[in-house]
Amino acid sequence: MIRGRFGAILAVIAACALLLGACGDDKKEDSGGSKPAGGASTSASGGKKLKVGLVTDVGKVDDKSFNQSAWEGVQRAQKELGADVKFIETTDPKDYAKNIETFANEKYDVIVTVGFGLGEATAAAAKKYPNIKFIGVDQFQAESVTNIAGLIFDEDKAGYLAGALAAQMSKSGTIGQVLGTDVVPPVVKFGKGYEAGAKAVKPEIKVLTWYHPGGLAKGFSDPEEGKKQALQMISQGADVIFGAGGNTGNGALLGCAEKNVLAIGVDTDQYLTLPQAQKVLVSSAMKLITPGVFDIIKGVQENSFKGGNFTGQVGLAPFHDLESQVSQAVKDKLKQIDAGLKDGSIKTNVKV
Amino acid sequence: MLDVIQSMLVVALPAATPLIFGGLSGLFSERSGVVNIAIEGMMLAAAFFGFIVGVRTGNLGLALGGAVVTGMVMASLHAVLSIAFRVDQIISGTVINVLAIGLTGYLDRKLYPSGAPAGQRTLPEIEIPLLSDIPFFGEILFRHGVIVYAAFVAVVVAAVVLYRTRWGLRVRAVGEHPLAAETAGISVYAVRYASVIAGGALAGLGGAYFTLQSIPQFQPLMTNGRGFIALAALIFGKWTPFGVLGAALFFAIAETIPSTLQIQGVHSIALEVAGTTLFDVAIPYQVFGLLPYVLTILVLAGAVGRAVPPAAVGQPYTRKA
Repeated sequence: MIRGRFGAILAVIAACALLLGACGDDKKEDSGGSKPAGGASTSASGGKKLKVGLVTDVGKVDDKSFNQSAWEGVQRAQKELGADVKFIETTDPKDYAKNIETFANEKYDVIVTVGFGLGEATAAAAKKYPNIKFIGVDQFQAESVTNIAGLIFDEDKAGYLAGALAAQMSKSGTIGQVLGTDVVPPVVKFGKGYEAGAKAVKPEIKVLTWYHPGGLAKGFSDPEEGKKQALQMISQGADVIFGAGGNTGNGALLGCAEKNVLAIGVDTDQYLTLPQAQKVLVSSAMKLITPGVFDIIKGVQENSFKGGNFTGQVGLAPFHDLESQVSQAVKDKLKQIDAGLKDGSIKTNVKV
Repeated sequence: MLDVIQSMLVVALPAATPLIFGGLSGLFSERSGVVNIAIEGMMLAAAFFGFIVGVRTGNLGLALGGAVVTGMVMASLHAVLSIAFRVDQIISGTVINVLAIGLTGYLDRKLYPSGAPAGQRTLPEIEIPLLSDIPFFGEILFRHGVIVYAAFVAVVVAAVVLYRTRWGLRVRAVGEHPLAAETAGISVYAVRYASVIAGGALAGLGGAYFTLQSIPQFQPLMTNGRGFIALAALIFGKWTPFGVLGAALFFAIAETIPSTLQIQGVHSIALEVAGTTLFDVAIPYQVFGLLPYVLTILVLAGAVGRAVPPAAVGQPYTRKA
């Protein structure tokens, strides 16, 4: 009798736990749909006022990362082109399509979707609304569709610059890199570019490389493992480490901060996103999303928009606190490499 | 070669920390007769709530306390279910694991939809003077975070408590033959409650390793099955404190081998005899990832000999009125 009653209590607890788990997956169903915000246009340029909507990946528009960079590009369009701009913050991946739809129904001219994850929803919406132009940040277009521009980046060039910096900053002759999963091609491009860049300036340099073996499920969200690998590399003499793999890479940067070893971040200027690593963060291999997004929007305004892939710029972030530690010779060399990569006289020779 | 082994061990010690705390957590619970497969859930919940306390108060001492208390609360739930209500202990443990995953995942999304606040600190890393300068061993043993040292201290304390104190004797008696213990005037319920909850506190410290020592962040599911490996370490270590220590170190080193091989750029196995290559097979690094599991199976299957659990483990006790 007693067993039966408490069995029931137990069942209720278990059910609650499962419910909580389920809640975790579809939180904020109502507000997740649409929360348009943002400023209205201030100056109209010429006759037609462009309406630009941005849908974030899961997260906030001020995330100091992808979403924010893309939104800043849209804001620049507002300022310089007089566009009418709004954003919707996605809170759950299953709202991607719904959020894009919201802008489409309001007859927006351009819809920016931020991140690899929105690729499918963007492609589907583009088919449904052939008159709307879509900009997909980090969405590689395998086949060109007339109304989607995929903003992609040469990660190998960004990695190459990071490697060239690392090799020149290294005193021990050993540098390391802690990467996300090699299932994702941009990660491999970063990694191979880093090694190529390092070897280009110092052929005898030793590059320690680690990819997270956990695939998409864990590859970018395992900072503890990333930190351990950085510590292992430091113990093997690495004195500059490149962390490129979301939170896994951030873990590596934190490990560097703990052991006072130079670190290089990825994607955005991580000096701004990872304050604990500021004292050792010499730079970050950045994808310049803001100008890329702006340029494509400008193309729409000027009727020069083309579907397919649009390659954005990459570059190194400022040295910030470590400015004085980077010698003028190193800076000059980096400038020269950057110019070479841009005009094509330097090739990374990375094939993925 | 030696420096590579050294670097492996440098990483293995922190990696062993949650396994040691988890193993000791299970040790107290199971030696008193209560099966504890909820170590994983206790650690995960402790990692999360410890982190939250740290974010809210900015005080790492309070955060550590928060983690320990969380472990104890989760353990109390297990204790009430399995001791007072005599629920099947495996089911109770499963419930706690599922509860911890759901609760932390939900609250994490609710509180920090765009990632946890940046700028949190971790517990200090201490280089023990003089000792940390010993060649080879100094770096391996004496340059770690406070929780890593605490794990080793906990092993010694657990051994003393279990084998040298009256309470330890009671724990063992209750786990072996509760009826006899009760006859001798020991309250089986009280000892079991105390043991399970003390185990919860240890699991709380194991959880604190993740968010207060290793990384100042919480990630959903970040304990990553370490609670279950701790359970394996408990069995492999034959339900003794130093056994747990040895087993935890063994598993931690095994876990480190694949990454060490990958970092060293090992991607083939070759055999060369007298100048002729007999074979040279390319191996993807993922294959090395299997190594720890293969080792674990081999060890648990044969090398240890028979592991005898406490006689009364898993059996709910009903007081004979």
